[in-house]
Amino acid sequence: MAIKFNQVTYRYESANNDFYDAISDISLSIEDKGEFITLIGETGSGKSTLVQHMNALIHPSEGEVLIYGIKVNKNTKKDKKEKLNPLRQKVGLVFQFPEYQLFEETVERDIIFGPKNFGMSEVQAKAIAKEVIVQVGLDESYLLRSPFNLSGGEKKRVSIAGILAMNPDILVLDEPTSGLDPKGRDDLLNLFLSIHEKLNKTVIIITHDMNIVYKYAKRVLVMNNSRLVFDGEPSVLFKKKNIEEWNLDLPDMLELQYNLENELGIKFSKNPNNIEDFLTEIKGAK
Amino acid sequence: MSIIKIEDLTFSYNEDTEVLKNVNLEINKGEWVSILGHNGSGKSTLSKLIIGLLKASSGKITVDGELLNYDTVHSIRRKIGIVFQNPDNQFVGVTVEDDIAFGMENLGIERNEMISKIQEFSKKVNMIDYLNKAPHELSGGQKQRVAIAGILAMGTDIIIFDEATSMLDPKGRDSVLSFIKELKNQGITIITITHEMKEALYSDRIVILKEGKVIADGTAVDVLQDKKTLNSSNLELLLPLKLIYHMQEQNIENKEIEEILWQLSLIK
Repeated sequence: MAIKFNQVTYRYESANNDFYDAISDISLSIEDKGEFITLIGETGSGKSTLVQHMNALIHPSEGEVLIYGIKVNKNTKKDKKEKLNPLRQKVGLVFQFPEYQLFEETVERDIIFGPKNFGMSEVQAKAIAKEVIVQVGLDESYLLRSPFNLSGGEKKRVSIAGILAMNPDILVLDEPTSGLDPKGRDDLLNLFLSIHEKLNKTVIIITHDMNIVYKYAKRVLVMNNSRLVFDGEPSVLFKKKNIEEWNLDLPDMLELQYNLENELGIKFSKNPNNIEDFLTEIKGAK
Repeated sequence: MSIIKIEDLTFSYNEDTEVLKNVNLEINKGEWVSILGHNGSGKSTLSKLIIGLLKASSGKITVDGELLNYDTVHSIRRKIGIVFQNPDNQFVGVTVEDDIAFGMENLGIERNEMISKIQEFSKKVNMIDYLNKAPHELSGGQKQRVAIAGILAMGTDIIIFDEATSMLDPKGRDSVLSFIKELKNQGITIITITHEMKEALYSDRIVILKEGKVIADGTAVDVLQDKKTLNSSNLELLLPLKLIYHMQEQNIENKEIEEILWQLSLIK
C-alpha cells in the first residue's frame, strides 16, 4: 500500500471564523503499481485538496495519511523536510495551472530543477530533460526557450515534463488536458497510459471529461460536497441516478449506445469501448 | 450586415514566425461563429487583436463601422466583451455586485443607473441571489456568468468566449452554454473559441484556423462533416458522424441506422 487515507478531514478557517471542511472523513488506499485512477466531481467538491495530501503538501486537520509508511497528521511539522521531501519524488503532482510550477529562465532549467534537488548530477538531469521534452510532444529546441513565452498548452506539457523527469512511482495530474486540442489531449493521455502500462506506475488524473474516465480509468473516485461518494469501476458509475445526484454527464460512447438502443429497439451485448464495438453491434442489428 | 470585418490581417510576435497570415473574415450582426483550430493556430491571438489587446503587423479590423486604431480602441472595447478561460483571472470585484459594477464604473455610469443595471443583469444571468457573495463562494460556471453580466451591463452587444467553458464542470459548462444560446436569441453577436465539437454544433458558422490561416469557413453542419479538414487540424469528428464514415469505409449498408446517426450528429 503506497498511500492510505484514514478518516481524513481538512478544515479551512474563513475570515469570519467560520469553519469549512474542504474534504471530510475520507478513507481510501492507493497502490503504487498498476492503478489508473480518475478523480471527478464538481468544482469545489474537494478534488484538489484531496490530491495535495498525497505527497504531504498539506496535512490533515483530522485523521492521518500514510505515504510510503510515513505518517502525516496535524502534528507533523511542516519543516520536516528531510522526512517529507523524498515523498515529493515518489508522488509527483502536476498542478492545474502550470504557471504555479514554472519559474526558471529556460525550460531546461525548469525540468532539471526537481531531479537536481533530489540529488541527480546536472549532466544526468540534462540528459533526462532531453528525453522527457520529447515524451510530452515538444522538441529539443524548447529546452532553451523561456517557459513564460509559451502557449498555455506548451506550458502544461513542460510542467508535466518536469514531473516525469523525477521518475515518480505515482503520477498525479490535476486537469492535465483542459485547453488542449483533441489530438494534443489524446497524445498526452496515451503518454500517461504508456507510462502506466510499460513502467507499471500508478496514474491519477483529475478531470471533468467523462470520456477520459470512460476510456482510460480502471478505477474512478467521485467527490461530492467534500466527501468521497464513489470508489469503483467506471462501468458501475455511469447510472442515471449517480449522474443526476453528482452532476456528472454521460461519456459520448454511452450516450450514443443508449440513443441507438432506444431508436432501434435493440440491446447492445456490452458497453462499447471503440468504434469497432459499435460496428459489431450494428452488423448484428441488421 | 457585417459587424466585424477583418481584412488581410497579419500578426507576428517576432520577425521569423507569423502567428496569423492574411486573415480575411466577416462576422455578421447577431451571428454565432465558432473559431476552431489546433493549439497555436492563432485563435486566441485573433481574439486579442479584435479587442485591441495586440496590435496587428498589417491589415485592418473594422468593428461596427469603426476602424480599429489607437484613437478608436477604447470606443471599440465598449462594443466587444471577452470572457476568458480561467474564471479566477477575470473576477476583479470583492463581491458579485462589485464585479458587475466594475466595467460600468470605468465608463462613469451614474450610480442609480448602475444599481438598477446590476439588478437587471444579475437577474438575467441567474445570479441575483448571490450579489453579496465573494468569488471563493462561487463555482466556475457562476463566475463566468458574473463576467457575462458585467459585459452586458456595459451595453456591449458582441461577446467573445475564449475557451470560456473549458475549465468548468459539466453542470457549469451546461449553464454557460445554455446562456450563450439565450444571448444569441436576443441578437447578441457571439464568437466562441473552442475545441469542443459538441459546442461548435450550436453555432451558425464555423471558421477553422490552421497555422495562422483560415482553412475552412462554412455552416456548422457542413464544416463538422469535413473529416479531412478536421483531421488535419487536430480536431475530431462528432462520434455519430465518425461511426457513419466507418460504416461507409467498411461497406456496412444500413440506411435506417445511417439516418438515425445523421440525426443524432446534427440535431442540436
